[in-house]
Amino acid sequence: MTEKVKHSRLFLWFIQVLRVCGRELLLVFRDEGVVIFFLLLNAVYPVLYSIIYNPEVVRDEKVVVVDDNRTQLSRDLIRRMDATQEVAIVGYAANMQEAQEAMHLKECYGILHVPRDFGQSIGRGQQAHVSLYCDMSVMMRYKAMFTALTSVTQAMGNEQLAYKVEPVVGMGGSIIESRQVAVGNPAMGIASAVLLFILPLVLQQSMILGIAMLHGGSIERRRRNGGRDPMAIEAGPAATIIGKMMCHQIVYVLPVIYVLYYVPLMFGFPQYGDFFQVICLAVPFIIAVSLMGQTLQAFVNERESVFLLFVFSSVVFVFLTGASWPRYLMSRLWRVVGDCVPGVWMSNGFVRMQADSALLSQVSHEYWMLWLQVPVFFILAYLVERFVNRRRYRSWIAASEDNPRILTRIDLAKNGVG
Amino acid sequence: MILKYIGRSFKRGCVQLVRRPMYFLLIVIMPILCCWFLMDLVKGGSVQRVPVGIVDLDNSSLSRQVSLTLNGLQQVNIRHRYANFAEARDAVQRGEVLGFFLIPEDVEEHALGGRQPVVSYYVNYAYYAPASMQYKGFKTMSLLANGAIVQTALRTVGLPNEAIASSLQPYQTHVHALNNPFTNYNFYLNSTFVPCFFSLFILLVTAFSLGLELKSGLSRQWLKTAGDSMFLALVGKLVPQTVLFTAVGWFIQWIMYRCYDFPLNCNPWNMLSAMFLLVVANQSFAVLMYCFVPNFRYGTMLCTLLGMVSFSFSGFSLPQESMYSWVTALGFVMPIKYYFLIMVDQALNGIDLYYSRFYYAALIGFTILPMLLSWHLKKECLNPVYVP
Repeated sequence: MTEKVKHSRLFLWFIQVLRVCGRELLLVFRDEGVVIFFLLLNAVYPVLYSIIYNPEVVRDEKVVVVDDNRTQLSRDLIRRMDATQEVAIVGYAANMQEAQEAMHLKECYGILHVPRDFGQSIGRGQQAHVSLYCDMSVMMRYKAMFTALTSVTQAMGNEQLAYKVEPVVGMGGSIIESRQVAVGNPAMGIASAVLLFILPLVLQQSMILGIAMLHGGSIERRRRNGGRDPMAIEAGPAATIIGKMMCHQIVYVLPVIYVLYYVPLMFGFPQYGDFFQVICLAVPFIIAVSLMGQTLQAFVNERESVFLLFVFSSVVFVFLTGASWPRYLMSRLWRVVGDCVPGVWMSNGFVRMQADSALLSQVSHEYWMLWLQVPVFFILAYLVERFVNRRRYRSWIAASEDNPRILTRIDLAKNGVG
Repeated sequence: MILKYIGRSFKRGCVQLVRRPMYFLLIVIMPILCCWFLMDLVKGGSVQRVPVGIVDLDNSSLSRQVSLTLNGLQQVNIRHRYANFAEARDAVQRGEVLGFFLIPEDVEEHALGGRQPVVSYYVNYAYYAPASMQYKGFKTMSLLANGAIVQTALRTVGLPNEAIASSLQPYQTHVHALNNPFTNYNFYLNSTFVPCFFSLFILLVTAFSLGLELKSGLSRQWLKTAGDSMFLALVGKLVPQTVLFTAVGWFIQWIMYRCYDFPLNCNPWNMLSAMFLLVVANQSFAVLMYCFVPNFRYGTMLCTLLGMVSFSFSGFSLPQESMYSWVTALGFVMPIKYYFLIMVDQALNGIDLYYSRFYYAALIGFTILPMLLSWHLKKECLNPVYVP
């Protein structure tokens, strides 16, 4: 290597970046709290969520029958309802009062009422009515009972129609067959739908929490040491940010592969995408999240306040991805807020790749938006590092030169002493 | 004497609360903001006009009629027409539409010839809520198409209209969504998620404020202020927070039940008292966690973990009877589960208070539990060790 290269500013800057990166790695693995966030959280949380939602669909929802008709036809309807995947008939009640009592005691979540003239109406060639009363505390229960009743009455209706119409016009009950094809999530389950949105967010949140905790630790060291952090490497703001970002990339190689590949594999979630392309999407995501974390760390004053400041935001971000309420129905404000979060783009891209087997070119919008966030968050992180953090450190150093105990005293005052 | 201790520790609690702006942020501002966020996000109430596509390979009068009718339905909104299946599939993958209706070639001809053509609808179930709506819309559409042809056929052979109607749909179903007749998603989601969110804040703040005593090494002084009584120390520290949290909780309930008109079919006091009990139970739960693990990091982490997971295992989205039984059992560990059950019984269904007696009792039980274990926390407070 020539002398010229060795002393060029770029080379020195690059060495600084590497030193920051190395020191950050050391700090990460020396700090049990950060290791828990960066590694353990990613290992445990996705599995926990997956186990909770793993049953996927509602099976055998408990329904009580009030059969005022007691004919062969009403019994047939009830038998068919019981045979559906969604509903189980747990008993007969003599009247609606009795059925209501069962519902209040949580012995059932729905009441199927067959009125007195049910069989007779069909016999007379009139419409027969049947009522279902659903408990509305959980939407999936309602959906299950509703689907079961609809499909049973439709099947019975088609048989009736065929029986009546065929002799007249010579065609079967159903003229046009219709067929639903569930794409993306053939199990039609809630786990396969929701978890794919949550997985990238777990990566994002764990990283932000870890970064903020590292920063909190650094702040605490500065408070104890008169505004200086003995563990920090002297480097410019840009070198510090990029060095730390490189460290986070290195640490997150394994969590990304585990969370985005092995967790869906373990639980059999849709995995139709090409994993190499998923990784390509994850690269700008992880960079953007690291920079976002370094922006948000400005709010942290001590290690443990990360719990207060960032944990609840996970719930907000889950909603912003559109996992529960679709994004196209959100107001412009919430769409824009969502657009600022790397996890929102990543989740939507990831879902379409894994569930709908989209190629990277088909989620190019998400991909480029993630890359766009990289410079934006870099600028924000730079501004924070240069004009918030470093200014604060300088003022601390100046203050503790006048009075060496001032920083600890402020801390004590906050805890209610003095 | 005891009054003096109570007064002193109460004063200390208030001073701590006031000196950290973060408490105000986390107790008052953030819960209300998050409540507003969730309410405002789903204020539409139900998922409608799902963007879908249509692939019409038939191009007959029947197929045109189908696509016109489809667009008239509330549930779906035809954004694009695609020339073939591959194009539509590409659009789904790009996220332009969330599903499409496919009418194959010669549908009309086959239908009139009685050769049972098949129309298919492709629904992207990766997006769960819109998928159910699409299914409803597409299903209705295929029924209508069927009905139209049968109706024409029956009319040509001279059946009266009444007989046609009963032939087309012999069984009419009436599904009564009890106390939420329009299946309003806002009512459903936020009467559970907002309180759950709120209890996450309570857990976090309580755990944080307890942990700070251990971290700063001031726990001995904290106990001394309360005359070496763990109970009085906890009361002095937590009651100021209880007051604030309860006020915020009631404000949130006021927003839900008065501004957004959530179903409230019981005496309002039943819910107000439930909210107060939820606050106290969650605080006690956090104290209980500290009694088990008197350590800042692990105590807070335990509260965080359970608080976050309680959104899922309390059975708001996947009902409890569908979960694995041990997950269901885990749900009953958290106070929010009992609040949820009270909310369902009282506010939503408005049934007699008698049926909810155990849930209220459980919330009160949470308050008593840490008192039995507080000796463990006291031991730690006398010799605080902070592990960073």
